[in-house]
Amino acid sequence: MAGLVNTFGAGAMTNSIGEIRDADFLLVIGSNTSEAHPIIAMEMKRAVRRGATLVVADPRAIWMTSIAEKHLQLKPGTDVWLLNAMAHVIIEEDLIDHKFIAGQTENFDAVKQTVADYTPEQAEQITGVPADVIRWTARRYASTAKAGIYYVLGITEHSHGTDNVYALSNLVLMTGHLGKPSSGLNPLRGQNNVQGANDAGASPVFYPGYQRVDDPAARAKYEKSWGVSLSPTPGLNLNQMMKTTGNKIKAFYVMGEDILLSEPNVLHLERALNNIEFLVIQEPFLNETSRFADVIFPAAIYAEKDGVFINSERRVQRVRKAVQPPGEALADWEILVQFANRCGADWNFPGPAEIYNEMVKDVPRFAGISHERIEQTQHVPGLSGIQWPCPGANHPGTKYLHADGVLRGKGLFQAVQYRPSMELPDTDYGLILSTGRTLYHYNSATQTRREQGLSTKQSEAYIEIHPRDAQKRSIAHGDRVQVKTRRGSVHVRAFYSRQVRSGCIWMPFHFKEARANILTNDVGDSITGTAEYKVCAAEVTKLETGKKDTLLFPGAYFVER
Amino acid sequence: MKLARNQLTLNGKTVSFTDGETILTLANRMGVHIPTLCHDPRLDPVGACRMCLVEVTGFNRLVPACTQKATPGMEVITENARITRHRQTLLALYMTDHPQDRNAVEKGAPNQLLDLAEQYQAPLNWGRMLPIRSARDDDRNPYILFNADLCISCARCVRYCAEVERVSAITLANRGASTTVATADNASLLDTSCEMCGGCIDVCPTGAMTEKMPLTRNHKPERELRKVRTTCNYCGVGCQIDLNVDDIANDGRGMVVKITSPPPGTTVNDGNLCVKGRFAYDFIHHPDRLTQPLVCNENGELQPTTWDDALEKAVNGLQAVAKRYGADALGFVSSSRCTVEENYLMQKLARAVFHTNNVHQCAAT
Ligand code: SF4
Ligand code: SF4
Ligand code: FES
Repeated sequence: MAGLVNTFGAGAMTNSIGEIRDADFLLVIGSNTSEAHPIIAMEMKRAVRRGATLVVADPRAIWMTSIAEKHLQLKPGTDVWLLNAMAHVIIEEDLIDHKFIAGQTENFDAVKQTVADYTPEQAEQITGVPADVIRWTARRYASTAKAGIYYVLGITEHSHGTDNVYALSNLVLMTGHLGKPSSGLNPLRGQNNVQGANDAGASPVFYPGYQRVDDPAARAKYEKSWGVSLSPTPGLNLNQMMKTTGNKIKAFYVMGEDILLSEPNVLHLERALNNIEFLVIQEPFLNETSRFADVIFPAAIYAEKDGVFINSERRVQRVRKAVQPPGEALADWEILVQFANRCGADWNFPGPAEIYNEMVKDVPRFAGISHERIEQTQHVPGLSGIQWPCPGANHPGTKYLHADGVLRGKGLFQAVQYRPSMELPDTDYGLILSTGRTLYHYNSATQTRREQGLSTKQSEAYIEIHPRDAQKRSIAHGDRVQVKTRRGSVHVRAFYSRQVRSGCIWMPFHFKEARANILTNDVGDSITGTAEYKVCAAEVTKLETGKKDTLLFPGAYFVER
Repeated sequence: MKLARNQLTLNGKTVSFTDGETILTLANRMGVHIPTLCHDPRLDPVGACRMCLVEVTGFNRLVPACTQKATPGMEVITENARITRHRQTLLALYMTDHPQDRNAVEKGAPNQLLDLAEQYQAPLNWGRMLPIRSARDDDRNPYILFNADLCISCARCVRYCAEVERVSAITLANRGASTTVATADNASLLDTSCEMCGGCIDVCPTGAMTEKMPLTRNHKPERELRKVRTTCNYCGVGCQIDLNVDDIANDGRGMVVKITSPPPGTTVNDGNLCVKGRFAYDFIHHPDRLTQPLVCNENGELQPTTWDDALEKAVNGLQAVAKRYGADALGFVSSSRCTVEENYLMQKLARAVFHTNNVHQCAAT
């Protein structure tokens, strides 16, 4: 989320989930909200029921488009064109917030110059979204006071993901839709504690609380706190670590992740893992990566331990131990403490509350939040948990960011030019493949596929393909097909779907017998290292005819009779 | 007594209301309890169950507090002999075709109709009718069970499905005593637009809509379980959930036998959950869970071992690599599935113990 840190000074939802219901205009871009964030989708449904205008920008027709006023069905990877064209309209029609731009931002002119070339007419050529719809959306967005933008991986999982975030920030800054209730820029986090993991410093460039490791003052502070000397060079991000596995990286300690299922271009990674010297894994279940492990620590899951998670809206909430872990499994924190102490450290933490207290000592924005305080809020209606920033024990927490001015000091406009995705269709690979998640499974599905119910609803890997593309390849609805990219191939069932654009296919990434990430491209975003899961070139060929008696519903689920 | 424009009297006390507020919300806000069955703060009020009737001076008949807007100068009485008589009559009527034995029916959620009948000492001798509502016993969906005998046709489930989840998978069908909750063509929920959010279970006041799994596995009724409030471990919304724990099951280690949502209006999810948060908890006690540390032997096979041995091998392994190639040859992968505290420790381990900044969480989005 480095993009937002750079432009606004904090990488998190600027508004609260509870403010969604009061918004008058919602732009949902690159987020299949009803499947990936069902409860946020419920709040959006509530807003629409109240009369709010919903606009969905997504290459696929998703559930949310059924209640949207407009669906901007852009070609995958052309977001910058769409957003810059919206900025073009807003500036051309003088719908900008002059006062906000003058007082609270910098570098507006650079953006003004850049977007001058991005006319809606040309945007129509490239994105496939009609120029008048782009104009309409831009006007509605700029002229509605309570206008919020919501986005997720669809925006950031591109080689130009940070550009997309910049283009969105520009729209927000030029209209002054920031620092107000229901009006802001809101990245919806994909996983339960992504926000918290970032906040806690699980990042190659940041100590806890986004203090840079190459900032001498921050380093000095942590050297003092931890009583050791620290490396001044930023580390490798995950994408870089994976790509240099075997040559630069010789050993891994992996906690709570199945890197072989969740990282792109896994065949390369699988070869590389054969060449590393040591692999430690800490997991509740054996997974794909376990095959390469030298040591595996059995870990507890959330119901078996205490601590906090931080959600998309910066709310620090408790995780509470309800049952004992099975066998000899231990909570991850207990394992880490024992491990560090065996390495000669002297870590002394009776429990997670003490770990938390050590962390916030050096992070002002969490300083007012403690396990005890969360406990006290627990039964105050509507107040469970506390949202950062919360600098002091008497601070109530922060519902929406930037109320007293942009946290960065001045909001930074960042001019961005459209760069095509790294891999586009050609004669050998004629389709654009995007991957994503569905309502019924979760990431590598080590949990959800152990759930019988979810598997009845959705038990098999599939792609969605437009009937026109399928017929060109003599593929019938329900056939088994091979999906192939430059990196590998998988076998899945093909569903006819008019939810995808012609020329595009879509595939969920939850199934280990058809790992979508064998196919995906591992070129990373230049700033965050997030890989391009959303666009790569692919081709589909028929393997065998589908069972005749199998009735397949495209998209959400299928049913066998 | 002179009242201001936004004031009325509630049981003789002068109180201020906000624009458009109903008597019920006002009373709740003032800490005055009015019993309800068909009301839910997330739904448009319909005034169907008649449980919440109160007396308002100037109206001959009792009025439903859930639909009646507060107006200036109203005099509202929420409890008196007439109201109690009305509630007793109403409950007695509901009970004529409702099972009376709590132990027999309260396998799922607590039954609020039985609670109210008890509280108001409703007469239970007004004759028995066999319930004639049809169910869908053959619905092969994995999660949601409809026990028609317990249904009081309050339509909370149907309205939730239409207004909150907005998929309208279920509907009220038939009339009078045979009114029931049905799907189009009586199809299984799997073959409808249902997204399995389980909101129907959450809103149902009697437990007619209930969760299949705990019943098929013969777990204890909800009232005998301990609830532990925690945070859902799936997506970034951070819904609050209540783990319902049977403390003595599982050899005394405790067992999560179901998950329920906190009441509406209390947490970020406003009483709502999605299919994963409400139903996907089988993995917690799954037999595939790792219960012992494992190390790889010379033949490349994973073998169980002691914590002592595993820790020692792991520490030696990483330290050897650090020694040979330098600390930056190590990669530490942290996880958004773990707590903030654990992520903090992982980065501290990389930085303070091994002196490298090569630490990142998987899926930094
Ligand atoms: S199933 Fe429950 S919520 Fe639905 S109508 Fe019957 S009693 Fe009401
Ligand atoms: S219940 Fe559903 S929406 Fe809520 S946090 Fe869990 S997965 Fe996300
Ligand atoms: S709660 Fe008012 S009529 Fe049912």
